[in-house]
Amino acid sequence: MLVFPGTNSEDETLRLLRAYGAEAELVHWSRWQTLAQYHAYVLAGGFAYEDRIRAGAIAARDAMMEPVIDGASRGKLVLGVCNGAQILLEAGLVPGGSDGQATAAFTRNAPSGHFICTLVYVKLAVAPQRSAITASLEPGCVMPAWAAHAEGRLAAQSKAIGAIVDGEHVTFVYARADGIVDDAANPNGSALYCAGLVNREGNVLAIMPHPERVYPQHSPLFESFVKAVAAS
Amino acid sequence: MVEAPNSALSAAERRRITGALGRDPTTVELYAFDAQWSEHCSYKSSRHHLRRLPVQSPDVILGPGEDAGVLHLGEHNGERYGVVVAHESHNHPSQVVPFEGAATGVGGIVRDVLCMGAEVIGIADALRFGDVSNPDSHQRHVAQAAVDGISAYGNAIGVPNLAGDVYFHEGFNENCLINVIALGLVKEREIVHSFAPPQSAGWPILLVGKATDASGFGGASFSSLSLDNQNESTNKGAVQVPDPFLKNVMMRATYRVFGLLRERGVTVACKDLGAGGVIGCSAEICASGGFGARIQLDRLNVAQEGLPPEVLAVGETQERLLFVLPPDAVDDVIRVYNEEFSLPEIAYNARAAVIGEVTREKRYVLTHRGEIVMDVDIEFLTAAPPAPKQLASERPTEERSRRPVIPSEVEGPLQGLSLLLSSLDACSREPLYRRYDGVVRGCTVIPRGYADAGVIAPVPGSPLGVAVAVAGNPRYGAIDARRAAEDAVAEAVSKVVAVGARPIGLTDCLNFGNPNDPQHYGEFVAAVDGLEHAARERGLPFVSGNVSFYNENSSGKAIPASAIVSCIGVLDDVARIVTPALKQPGSAIVLVDDGETVRRAVEEGIVRACCAVSGGDPLVAIARMAFAAMQDGRALGAELTSTGYATPEAGGFLVEAAGHVEGAIVGLVIDRSTIILGEERVSVPDLLHSWRKPLQRIYP
Repeated sequence: MLVFPGTNSEDETLRLLRAYGAEAELVHWSRWQTLAQYHAYVLAGGFAYEDRIRAGAIAARDAMMEPVIDGASRGKLVLGVCNGAQILLEAGLVPGGSDGQATAAFTRNAPSGHFICTLVYVKLAVAPQRSAITASLEPGCVMPAWAAHAEGRLAAQSKAIGAIVDGEHVTFVYARADGIVDDAANPNGSALYCAGLVNREGNVLAIMPHPERVYPQHSPLFESFVKAVAAS
Repeated sequence: MVEAPNSALSAAERRRITGALGRDPTTVELYAFDAQWSEHCSYKSSRHHLRRLPVQSPDVILGPGEDAGVLHLGEHNGERYGVVVAHESHNHPSQVVPFEGAATGVGGIVRDVLCMGAEVIGIADALRFGDVSNPDSHQRHVAQAAVDGISAYGNAIGVPNLAGDVYFHEGFNENCLINVIALGLVKEREIVHSFAPPQSAGWPILLVGKATDASGFGGASFSSLSLDNQNESTNKGAVQVPDPFLKNVMMRATYRVFGLLRERGVTVACKDLGAGGVIGCSAEICASGGFGARIQLDRLNVAQEGLPPEVLAVGETQERLLFVLPPDAVDDVIRVYNEEFSLPEIAYNARAAVIGEVTREKRYVLTHRGEIVMDVDIEFLTAAPPAPKQLASERPTEERSRRPVIPSEVEGPLQGLSLLLSSLDACSREPLYRRYDGVVRGCTVIPRGYADAGVIAPVPGSPLGVAVAVAGNPRYGAIDARRAAEDAVAEAVSKVVAVGARPIGLTDCLNFGNPNDPQHYGEFVAAVDGLEHAARERGLPFVSGNVSFYNENSSGKAIPASAIVSCIGVLDDVARIVTPALKQPGSAIVLVDDGETVRRAVEEGIVRACCAVSGGDPLVAIARMAFAAMQDGRALGAELTSTGYATPEAGGFLVEAAGHVEGAIVGLVIDRSTIILGEERVSVPDLLHSWRKPLQRIYP
């Protein structure tokens, strides 16, 4: 698990990974050279590098990300939550273009423009097998999570949005507890009701709301991720 | 004599200093005494009254006196855990520069908890703003920017905001109140104290954190004067500059440092740099251990060269901690901060650096460029003389006997309820607190707004819970300071009881006017009476607190008397929390007036839901119980049978009972989203709509 300066959710994220049997540890920025040896990477929530310029923009270009980008290209599993998700988009790992450039962003919430902290539900919007990380989830499952961000609205140019739809990149959408997807369930005006995106190959997943903050801690997504790592 | 602009020292205090030194004080000394003898640091007008407050109980691990108090939470795996709690105000800075003022309020209180060796596990805020109806008013700006400041700081450091309240009252137009509370978790045997340990003569003094700059210069005396007495640019300079990004890293590095020191089994002292800067912190940490100190100002890491020695010495640059630690531990601690957590790369010239040493001789000596710029008796410096006896008088009776005006157009209680719920006093606080991260750390059991108190389960793997709530209604304070203080205790305690927790301790922040004004001071004294009475009645101790005087407007009128109280409660098992959400059609709704009855009923497992009656209106509580049920996905309401509520003015509870609970049955839970009272009925969704709206105008 990567800890950038400004990451703030590392402890609870680590706790949940370990609860599902993962052999996981925190790697702080000053030890980034040790990252290459790991089989999978998790990027936790927070405000890496203070979210200067845009959320995730600096961290995505940090030396910490070199082994992650390299590992992802060789099929290692990568999960980013909230700020971790923003970093993955800024790094161009999801939804993923041909040249490694960012094609979409999680940007300022609409209409409020402010940070919001609110309980949401996310629904699996693709077949579980679309991504190794979601492979153990039930089709169409709905899970609680906490949205806690100021910049969580998926935005992209219409061509890129089209590619996101065509490539089945939207893994999770905001929904009501009963699974109905509508505007009322969308906390930040995200395009396509998007709460989470996956890359083409399915090994990199970015999700904005925090499954690990639900108390008592329990997340089918984390469980599925850990299973996938064990199988990889 | 040298003049310190905006000095809060009296002529008598200056004479005393000159007399004791046998010479005129140097500029640095004058600023040092100005800070150390300020009301803010010394409590010279309040301490003899505060001594009356109860501070002991079997639940107290550490009472007032250090940076924070510690209460006993419970045991897990044979380890005794404590909840660390601190409570402070940051009123004047927030009135002048609200974003930075409120943010540094959070920053400061978090350090008070951190330096006790604790992990910071939660914050709470009590906010009092002026009349915000005019969108272009300064008070509207203050109300918005202060909340954004708290949000920006708390969110970034990763500490959940668990509880709080907000009131809007014209009495705060020129002087808002920002009170903040921080909670920490510490194993009892791992508490770090803020006094130099017994064997520490000759030990190094280590300063950690942000490079010292010119910000926050004169902050202690700034908060010990009325705002209008001061010059605006000096005021702005007195406000500190927040850096939550650096703090995030410093907190994590400090957790690592404490872990390392524990592994090595060494006792150290740690203290937050707050009021009075380097001098305030280093003098207190050494004096309270019975030592002196020698500090070389040239060894401070600075943001710019050429800062005058008095700025280096008493400036209140944020994000700094001070350690007294054994010489052989210094290198390892510096390595953690400067290399592993790379502080110098996180903020310009931030670092850990040795700046001096503990001395056996009880002098406080400062050198700058090789010259001694301060050399005084350390006990004389840190023990401010008490203020001359202040007169306390009562407010005029006509002010105290004011009674609320009931709008005449209200035809029935339920129509009144709708009006009440859409008032700024009773409406939903969600638009405000949704800007705060309430769930980071992944242990929030009841997030803010879901019940009367916030609840966390801070010990991983343990069902132990901590509940926290705050109270202090300024509308009562404007009428009667003593009753308002009693009510603040009652309400804070009730809110904790309502979630099924056992109250174990209190904190207070006493926000009043000018202590030299007999009426203002009289209100302070009356409030302490009220706190003392209400706490003793409940057997609860105060473990932390703060006094903020000089809260008044430009014509010398004090703010409404504001004794703001927080209550800490514990739960043996968070699976047994109680929420306000109605659960079961057909169950009785009982109005209970005392917390003990509720506690017993909770123990017996016959409380399905509970809501504290605050503000004196059980109908508001009923509505909130129905709203909470809706939030849980249950369309429930209530049919009320009684209108003759003999409402206890302070406290009282509505309980949805699953058995016999002593009290007055006032109605039944029904399986429709409606509240019925006689011929009147209102739809819960309609009420919810009016309840949610008002604060959205201020916090869109």
